[in-house]
Amino acid sequence: MADNDTQGEMRGKQVFTTGDAADICKLSQQTIIRCFDSGRLRGFRVPGSRFRRIPREELARFMRENNIPTDRLEGGQRRVLVVDDDAQIVELFTDLLDGDERFEVRSACTGYDAGVITEQFKPDLMILDYMLPDINGNVVCKTVRANPAFTNMKIIIVSGVINQSEIQTLLDAGADEFVKKPFDVKSLMGQIESLLEV
Amino acid sequence: MQITADPSKAQRIDMILREIDSLPTLPAIAMRLLTLTASDDSSANEVTELISSDPVMTGKILSMCKRASLGVRADAVTIDKAVVLLGFEAVRMAVLSIKVFDVFDKPAPEPTDPDATAATNNTFDRVNFWRHSLAVGVAAELIATAHPDARDLPRSEAFVCGLMHDMGKLALDFILPKAFARVVELTELNNGNIAELERRVIGIDHHTAGKRLAEQWQLPRQILDTMWMHSSSYETLPRLEHRRLVGLIGLADLIVRRQHIGYSGNFTFERDPEQLAEVMGLNPKVIETLGPKLYDELQRREGILDLDGQPSRELYLESIQRANQTLWRLNSAREKRTRLATVQSEVLDGITAFFTAATPGRTVQDAMDSVVASARAVLGKGYTALIYEPPQHGEAARASWLICEYDHEGAATRSELIAPPLHAPSLTTLDQAAPDPAAIMPWVVDALTSNGDAREIQMLPLNCAWGVAAVMVHDLPRLPPTKQLDAITSCWGAAIASASQHEDARRLGEELAQTNRALAEAQDRLLHSESMARLGEMAAGAAHEMNNPLAVISGRSQMLAMSIDPGSKNGQAAKTIVEQCKRLTDLITSLRMFAEPPEPERRSCDIGTVLDDAVRRTRSDSPKPTGAQIAISVKVQSGLPTVSLDPDQIGLAIRELLLNAVQSSPRSSITITGRIDTDDQLLVIQVSDDGGGMNGYTLAHAMDPFFSAKPAGRQAGMGLSRAKQLVESHGGQLGLRSAPNVGTVATMSIPLDSQE
Repeated sequence: MADNDTQGEMRGKQVFTTGDAADICKLSQQTIIRCFDSGRLRGFRVPGSRFRRIPREELARFMRENNIPTDRLEGGQRRVLVVDDDAQIVELFTDLLDGDERFEVRSACTGYDAGVITEQFKPDLMILDYMLPDINGNVVCKTVRANPAFTNMKIIIVSGVINQSEIQTLLDAGADEFVKKPFDVKSLMGQIESLLEV
Repeated sequence: MQITADPSKAQRIDMILREIDSLPTLPAIAMRLLTLTASDDSSANEVTELISSDPVMTGKILSMCKRASLGVRADAVTIDKAVVLLGFEAVRMAVLSIKVFDVFDKPAPEPTDPDATAATNNTFDRVNFWRHSLAVGVAAELIATAHPDARDLPRSEAFVCGLMHDMGKLALDFILPKAFARVVELTELNNGNIAELERRVIGIDHHTAGKRLAEQWQLPRQILDTMWMHSSSYETLPRLEHRRLVGLIGLADLIVRRQHIGYSGNFTFERDPEQLAEVMGLNPKVIETLGPKLYDELQRREGILDLDGQPSRELYLESIQRANQTLWRLNSAREKRTRLATVQSEVLDGITAFFTAATPGRTVQDAMDSVVASARAVLGKGYTALIYEPPQHGEAARASWLICEYDHEGAATRSELIAPPLHAPSLTTLDQAAPDPAAIMPWVVDALTSNGDAREIQMLPLNCAWGVAAVMVHDLPRLPPTKQLDAITSCWGAAIASASQHEDARRLGEELAQTNRALAEAQDRLLHSESMARLGEMAAGAAHEMNNPLAVISGRSQMLAMSIDPGSKNGQAAKTIVEQCKRLTDLITSLRMFAEPPEPERRSCDIGTVLDDAVRRTRSDSPKPTGAQIAISVKVQSGLPTVSLDPDQIGLAIRELLLNAVQSSPRSSITITGRIDTDDQLLVIQVSDDGGGMNGYTLAHAMDPFFSAKPAGRQAGMGLSRAKQLVESHGGQLGLRSAPNVGTVATMSIPLDSQE
């Protein structure tokens, strides 16, 4: 349970102490400090004190670079944002992923909402409908990719489009995968798992 | 009187007329005699007085008396007795002839002997001229006498008019002796009409000259009109008071000329005197019986006048002889004309028959057949060939010759459109008037197949208004003279030309109709493709709308299936829902493919590989056991080069065709062949089966989207239309041939060079 508490605690945090980081990485605090001081783990010192602080993104990067499993940082759950204007589709994805304890799911039904929620929620994966009421999926895709904070975010575009060249332009806009609607649930799950390395 | 200069004709005529006007007037005695009649004593007395006042005249009359009356002593005769004795007309005649000759006699050696100069110095035979004039006068008088009831034909006037009718000739001879001599010569040479030659040589004829003379002499109106119009056809004479008198002189002239009495210079006989008499309301019997009387009376008068001192019997014989000569001349001329007329009538008959047989709107071939038939009828039997050069259409078109050959029986042995021999001149450029057979003959003979041995082949151009319509090559024996031949060949040429024109017009009409049909078809296709485009738009729109619900159904049913025991009834149901969703998805996909066909992505492909691949996938896709059991043999022409195409699309199209073949339940097998048509630069892929085949209706709609011959609901019916679309996007065509219970052959042909 304590572990779960820690995880719950860590999930909301944006800045970590070296102790937090050691806990998450399952390393000794000394090792963390050494890495911090050598610059391999980037962070900052609290102004007017010697306390080291590590931002969330830096910690995540450090963990990935050193092949340290990130489940403890992520709280064991990967964040998935479902963007679709069709409530039934959103509900379908939510039911599909929310029932799976590995995923935390949020949803947006416009391109604008998708942008706002991405900033806050920092999803690991965005399941993006191509046809949105305000802006098209490929535009959302490009905008998100333009932000360096989201370069690691995975994007799956879901659409009824069948034209190969159109699919290609979507992939070129920064999407990792294209899934045609209607989709095969099992293979879609397989794609999500492999993208999120879970 | 000499006219040395060579003035223009108009000036010359003017000069002649002035000369006539300057002639001395007729002596008073002659004038008076002309106006007097013997109807009453006072006139007779006046004549006696007039003659007595002229001593020369008196002597002349008295000498006439001596000759005329036997047993009358000359000294016993006085002028008044002579007038009674000789008769008024004879005296009048005598006086007139003397006086008129007085006027025209140029250096008259003996004024009292008017005949001397005339006979010797001139080609114009004045003695015979007077004899003719006298004869006409006598004849007119005799006819008038025979019609005592005809008040408009008094005998004495008839005589005078007859006597004077040709006086214009005397005037012309007097003024232009040489020219008139030429006229006389030409007239005799050609057996022509002297008046016509007068007009041609001198400029005016003796009728006009006579009229002018009569005016100058102030002769009575009826004499003037006679001199002027006696040669005119009776029917054309104006409605004069003395119309019949003028006509009578014309009739008398005709009779006298037919009897060849004297010299008139006119050798043409316009009509039958008896018939003319009837037209004039005279008794034709009179004409018939006129002959003997005429001679007797003429002989008597001539005797009295001592016209030339010849014994009358001899004169008569001479007349007969001259008549015979003329008759011979006329006969030979007539015979010539008859021969010509026979040919003319044959040609005319030919032309008539030709046109009677002509039907409107016939083809050039028909026209040529009938020309040959006509040629055989007119020119005799023999070998014939016609060469016709059809008009060329378009600039690039090469000239061609239509050659039709006919054997001796007139049967067509060949009708062929050939390319003219190299360097052969165009038929249409042949000189129409004189085509030189040598210029074209060798080529023509070359082009003919049945060129027998040394045949007498002739070339006959068939002309039309704008050139040579066709050329006839023949050995027909009976060629009419050029003029007649020209007449009928022109008819033939015109017929062929008009048939050609007609054919041309018809061709244009047909082309127009064809264009219209093509236009209508294009419109149909446009309509079809438009409706396809709309259908596509609709399908694309609908498909998108369907995608989401379908995705939900599909997703939910999959989740459902995962959560239930797959062996349970509900598990099975969930699975069915999933499968049906898949079908629906496929349908939507093909609909959208159809609506928005993807561009082919060409690359170099090996045909064999594409076909094998398609066959393999067909087997694996087909529901077992049907698809797997049917034998599919692939036959690919060996050594085929790689072809640029989209293997996915063409492979899909082939699979659709194969699927269709599989579904037709072939009895033995399906064959798929691939080859390259090098002539048309096409890749040809054929899928044939010996299955159920299609009926006409099915075949016609086989490639319509959603059309399916199978019971509704079984098939989407998109297969063939999709295949067609894929082939068409490669610039190719998909064709279907099928017969119920025989099988179907689907052929796709893709142009090798279309790199779009």
